[in-house]
Amino acid sequence: MHNEGKKTALHYIFVAFCWIYAAFSLYPLIWMLFYSFKTNQEIFVTNPFGFPWPLHYENYITAWTKYDVPLYFLNSLLVSVGTVVITIICALLFSYATSRMVWKLKTFTRLFLGLGMFIPVQAIMIPVVKVVQRFGLMGTRWSLIFPYIAINLAFACMVYYGFFKGIPMELEEAACMDGANIYQTFFLIIEPLVRPATVTLVIYIFLNAWNEFILANVVVGSIPSLKTLPLGVLFFQGEFTTDWGGMGATMVIASFPAIIVYSIFSEQVESAMTIGGAVKG
Amino acid sequence: MKKYMGNKLAVFLFVLPALAIFIIFDFIPILQVFAYSFTDWNGLTIPNFTGLKNYIELFSDRVFYTSNRNQIIFAVVITIYQMLFATIFAITISDKKMKGRKFLRVAYFIPVILSVTVVCQLWSAILSGEGLLNKLFEAGGLDFSQNWLGDRYKAIYVIAFVNAWQWMGYQFALIVAGIKSIPSDYYEAARIDGCSNVKAHLKITIPLLAETYKFCLIISLTGGIKAFTEMNILTGGGPNKSTFTLTYMMYNAAFKKSDYGYGLAAASIMVIECMLVMLVINFIFREKNQLKEEEKSRRKRNA
Repeated sequence: MHNEGKKTALHYIFVAFCWIYAAFSLYPLIWMLFYSFKTNQEIFVTNPFGFPWPLHYENYITAWTKYDVPLYFLNSLLVSVGTVVITIICALLFSYATSRMVWKLKTFTRLFLGLGMFIPVQAIMIPVVKVVQRFGLMGTRWSLIFPYIAINLAFACMVYYGFFKGIPMELEEAACMDGANIYQTFFLIIEPLVRPATVTLVIYIFLNAWNEFILANVVVGSIPSLKTLPLGVLFFQGEFTTDWGGMGATMVIASFPAIIVYSIFSEQVESAMTIGGAVKG
Repeated sequence: MKKYMGNKLAVFLFVLPALAIFIIFDFIPILQVFAYSFTDWNGLTIPNFTGLKNYIELFSDRVFYTSNRNQIIFAVVITIYQMLFATIFAITISDKKMKGRKFLRVAYFIPVILSVTVVCQLWSAILSGEGLLNKLFEAGGLDFSQNWLGDRYKAIYVIAFVNAWQWMGYQFALIVAGIKSIPSDYYEAARIDGCSNVKAHLKITIPLLAETYKFCLIISLTGGIKAFTEMNILTGGGPNKSTFTLTYMMYNAAFKKSDYGYGLAAASIMVIECMLVMLVINFIFREKNQLKEEEKSRRKRNA
């Protein structure tokens, strides 16, 4: 192999670059973790870059007790879980009906819902506020849950559609022979077969809802008791900019669940986030 | 069996919840965007039809052109940054002998799972006057200190960078998944033919990732057109409206000036731009596929 030497020289440059960028990608986050344990004096003067010592964990206590972080956390959790559960149920039922059952207009209905993939959230934020008001949902957590379901449905249905298409028809025939009705067939026989898709979608939708900002900003941005964590983090732009440690602690708390989910299911999270590539492309 | 799977009541019950939520909270709103863009709606009173007035006003608004320019800058910066780095990293890491692959993948992907507000807040702390970046320059004795988001010409590039930094890992994961699907015998064949590693990747990996790149392009270019959150948090559209985008114009018109009709006209243009970009990208990539197939059939005929 005469070109082996040339390959390794270039190869090492690329490898070195990979590691340098990894540091660039992680350092801001580590810096955030560090400054959540520092006082203002340390952040700005004595120790801006390095490891925090002694640990000022009272920043976390301040964030948790003074800045409504538990409330934001609860809101985020309720909204995310509500969105995940209802989206999964709706998408499962819808995709089953459009992929395996026999009726007129089923392809049309499926493609119609698929339009949702092309509707940018940014564009619809004004009408969504008005719709939420019209239905009297303003001031409740449903004002976020329903729009979140709507924007996640198209994607979830497409993923499920692909899975349902791959299941042999004989399963339903056998279930029918054995006297199960259509509801039993669906919930007891078909639904367990698409669990892998459900796991992927649960992670995907949960992260989406947990991190959502655009709609949350216009729907509950002015209602303090309903704010979610992404909005709570922004709260520091105004009144509390002087307390950098508390802000850092809030940001760490806000990122914590996502990072936990990622560290447990890293493979699934990556495939969940990138599955859109297969579907959209 | 046909009757069993054609149970009308079951179909109705299964389809209804999803369809109702989609229509009410996603489909009707997008129709309203287009419909109200032809009115003088202020959010409260009954809208009056005003024809193309909003659009004429929009096209003569200087901010409209700044917005479009910003969207193009944003799209180009994030596309180049993300696709270039993602490709280099994905190809380097595809080498199974490399140490620390798992760690690198996590390092690149972690910003993707964070909330955009956390990332923006973090970077605004880094980029501000007394922030980390200026401190680093001071520590290194360099005279680059400035308010990175305060310059009306540079701010948009800085904002685009923050977005590119966060989402690079996403395209990285897409390309890694794409590379995984390429059979390894292609590379073995190339090596037997005396092809260098770099050349093998240029001639095999990148052409075979056409579908993945198409998707990456769609995401980052439409991402540029839809850009809003970063502006909203980092600069508030400023300094002096220099970091506006169409979405920000809509937000500003609707929630600051109660001029909903005008804002929705800006949003309509934004949606149309997104559609156009998607059509163009699909068209470009389809052409290539067709050409390839034509060539293939021609070769077959000759053989």
